[in-house]
Amino acid sequence: MTLAALGRLLILASLLAATTGAVLGFASGAKKSLIGLQWTRRFAYAFAALMVLATLVMERALVTHDFSVSYVAHVGSRAVPLWVTIVSLWSSLEGSILFWGFVLGIFIAAATLLTRIGHEGEMPYAIATWLTCGSFFSFLIAGPANPFLTVSPVPLDGPGPNPLLQNHILMVAHPPMLYLGYVGMTIPFGFATAALFRGRLELTFLRLIRNSLLLSWIFLTLAIMLGGWWAYEVLGWGGYWAWDPVENASLLPWLTATAALHSAIILQRRGVLKGWTITLVQASFLLTVLGTFMTRSGVFNSVHSFTQSAIGPTILVFLAAVLIGTVTLLALRIDSLESDGSIDGAVSREGSFLLNNLLLAILTFTVLIGTLFPLVVEAISGKQMSVGRPYFDSMVVPAGVALLFLLGVGPALPWGRASREEIKRALLPPLIGAAMLTIAGVAFGARNPWTILTLAFGGYAIQVTVSAMWKAGWKARTTRAYVIHLGFAIAIVAIALSSTMRTQTEVTLAKGQTAKTGNYSVTFLGTELRNEPHRMSSVALIAIAKNGKAIKTLEPRMNQYEMMREPIGTPDVYSTIGGDLYISIASLEESRASLLIITTPFVSWIWFSVVLMAIGGAISLIRFRRVAPAVQPALIDKLETLSHTP
Amino acid sequence: MILTLILLIGIAEPPHGTPLQGGELERRTQAIASEIRCPVCQGLSIADSPSEMAVNMKAEVRDLVARGYTQEQIDRHFERSYGQFVLLRPKFRGVNTLVWILPIAALAAGAFLVLLTLRKLTKGALS
Amino acid sequence: MNRTVLIIGTIVTAALVGVLFLGLGHDPSHIDSPLVGNPAPSFALKVAGSNETIALTKFRGKPMVVNFWATWCRPCWEEHPTLTAAAGELGDRVQFLGVVFQDDEAKILDFMRQRGAAYPTVIDERGKTAIAYGVGGVPETFFIDANGIVVAKYDGPLSPEQLQSYLAKVLTP
Repeated sequence: MTLAALGRLLILASLLAATTGAVLGFASGAKKSLIGLQWTRRFAYAFAALMVLATLVMERALVTHDFSVSYVAHVGSRAVPLWVTIVSLWSSLEGSILFWGFVLGIFIAAATLLTRIGHEGEMPYAIATWLTCGSFFSFLIAGPANPFLTVSPVPLDGPGPNPLLQNHILMVAHPPMLYLGYVGMTIPFGFATAALFRGRLELTFLRLIRNSLLLSWIFLTLAIMLGGWWAYEVLGWGGYWAWDPVENASLLPWLTATAALHSAIILQRRGVLKGWTITLVQASFLLTVLGTFMTRSGVFNSVHSFTQSAIGPTILVFLAAVLIGTVTLLALRIDSLESDGSIDGAVSREGSFLLNNLLLAILTFTVLIGTLFPLVVEAISGKQMSVGRPYFDSMVVPAGVALLFLLGVGPALPWGRASREEIKRALLPPLIGAAMLTIAGVAFGARNPWTILTLAFGGYAIQVTVSAMWKAGWKARTTRAYVIHLGFAIAIVAIALSSTMRTQTEVTLAKGQTAKTGNYSVTFLGTELRNEPHRMSSVALIAIAKNGKAIKTLEPRMNQYEMMREPIGTPDVYSTIGGDLYISIASLEESRASLLIITTPFVSWIWFSVVLMAIGGAISLIRFRRVAPAVQPALIDKLETLSHTP
Repeated sequence: MILTLILLIGIAEPPHGTPLQGGELERRTQAIASEIRCPVCQGLSIADSPSEMAVNMKAEVRDLVARGYTQEQIDRHFERSYGQFVLLRPKFRGVNTLVWILPIAALAAGAFLVLLTLRKLTKGALS
Repeated sequence: MNRTVLIIGTIVTAALVGVLFLGLGHDPSHIDSPLVGNPAPSFALKVAGSNETIALTKFRGKPMVVNFWATWCRPCWEEHPTLTAAAGELGDRVQFLGVVFQDDEAKILDFMRQRGAAYPTVIDERGKTAIAYGVGGVPETFFIDANGIVVAKYDGPLSPEQLQSYLAKVLTP
């Protein structure tokens, strides 16, 4: 049997396993059948195994250059290095959907395995929901985006994957991380849907939702950062975020998931906002489906878009079906979830959680409106328009700064009702931190009012966070969660400084000529041609010196890929803790180079602080399972009895 | 000479601002260019994009700023050839007003909802 | 049944799915030209391979096809024979003009030597004319009637059939 036929067979089998498992799961949930649940689990494992096998078959076809497989003929090439061949699994549409199925399979199998004890009432529905998503992706792979078609006559060689993807090693990390984040949202979605089917949400089950959500949140956080870093290292304009539709698509579920993680905390403590939390979890998943549509329908223009494809309508149908299903289920069951928990005062930790959710919801709405608005206008008036960075900057920056403010004030406020005196005692001391960071920033040269505000709120938040961590001790759960806050505060400050204090100069240098920018001097030494098996590069050799002291030679280059007409520029960066010197080529001749020289302060702090956020998420996740619930057992009992009553 | 310049640049009206030079010229150019979309790029402004098209357009912005044209006039100039597609910050007019108003309206509605929720939830505590 | 959730959910679903559905056929790289129906921006540019300058106004009274292209653009190569053939056939009734975009003169002359030239080509130094015409990539072709009004614009390489149908628009008064 050829690899193409084997792949098709495995995918058809996975479609069968997923649909059977889904139907069986819903049925055994309704009938409360334990044997049915057993079998549903088996189908989940079967789906996962088949998806993994199908992906391995594709990898084998790629590595052995079996050009009779359509996807290999489409993206394979004998000229590219092995690592490019392996990662070209996700370099083009069909392969990326197969990889999606692979990740989904692993997530479903792991989640099924980890929930094998308990929650027998909910689990059939959860697994059935996961397998419904699985069926959809199997269907996509089997039909509209089939990578296993047979090509005849068999070509001798292929064009290789999209050169932008070959251009940087980060491309190995960014897409899989994003898929882990996107696909991972399926798991909390399944749990939340199960809670809706059952019409109740136990606190132990809430923990499953929260942990699985946190896991995908970690991946999504890293993916967004890696995407920004990749854009910075590859695209040559010296920025990391352009409010491109597909970047927005990855931010949207991150925003709602962040909101849900916060509302879950207050739900756990006070028993309020059950329906809202579930809605946020559902929205996070729906936004990942929307993101998939945006990347793969060809409707949006973006660096990330796959070329025009026929699977847009199929994904839209899926999105519409999931939306209708979710809205119906929410409308039917949300009232049975609500419990009459309460909070003691508005100016309290609880109140700040509500504000946090408001801000995140508004941010989500704004980014969504801004991203889709050009489509709306074109549908109404037939005229093209743009909603770009200036719009998002002026809408999102105030909301982001307000969020940072809340990140300082919220955790400083006590839980429950607090007296005026207590509030004053909590809120005043961190003003020292605010003043210190502001003074440091202004001394460094910050003048933009938003940046100064960010420094003040950032300093405030950092002091609140660190002192809360200090007070709670290193083992406390809040300490671990506050690592995320610390990372976020640093990231926002670094973003504010790096975006408002960058300098940009365009210079044209003859061989041997030097240009000065800030403390740096930049000398064009000449060009060099480099041949690699899959590309030819013209490298500009540029000596850089700081305050007259030679540092190193940067090598921004123009890469000419085989079978690609236009060369693709790759910038080169000299990174320090204080800031980066970034050089990209506008045009290059043997004795003359036009360069774009950009200096950006503190840009590498963004990458590190986001990694810190992910670490904070990871350590919160690891310890969750060993820690006793934060609420008093009496309250749990009360809530459970309440939630059992319809 | 002036006539050909006007023909070449295609702005038939006199500048409404004052001519600029030096550092102020660069700052204004950068600010205006960062709100004009580079037509050959993917969502980047002509201030950000290193492409030749963007460099040319930015040079034109610099010319116009140097001669005293205002942002409003320069935007209109590019809009005449590229349509409103070229403006990264949607002008507050016609259906475009929605993209500015809706988030503000949502904020107001959301704030109201939060107040309502807070009242409901704190009342529960008192009773 | 929670009515509020149902109503809000239905609105969100309908709006989102509706917008995306209407967007399905949408090609993000296509931009309508606001120049259509308006006078063609004038220009005076140097002819490739000579020191002469050609101004747009010189051709007033005759329908025109203004083609923006470059030697580094592969689709322009495909389109070149179509334009050359049409110019050979209709040269007396329609004025064809090539405007080269982001290129250098030596390469253009080389290209014209190898692939033939049936009409004048001018060089758009610093891209001013391309900007005035709202060019967002090459090839792009503008069809201008005898009164100097832009009748149509086409992005991408023209097939002979497409060229014929656009020419019909500028030729009929």
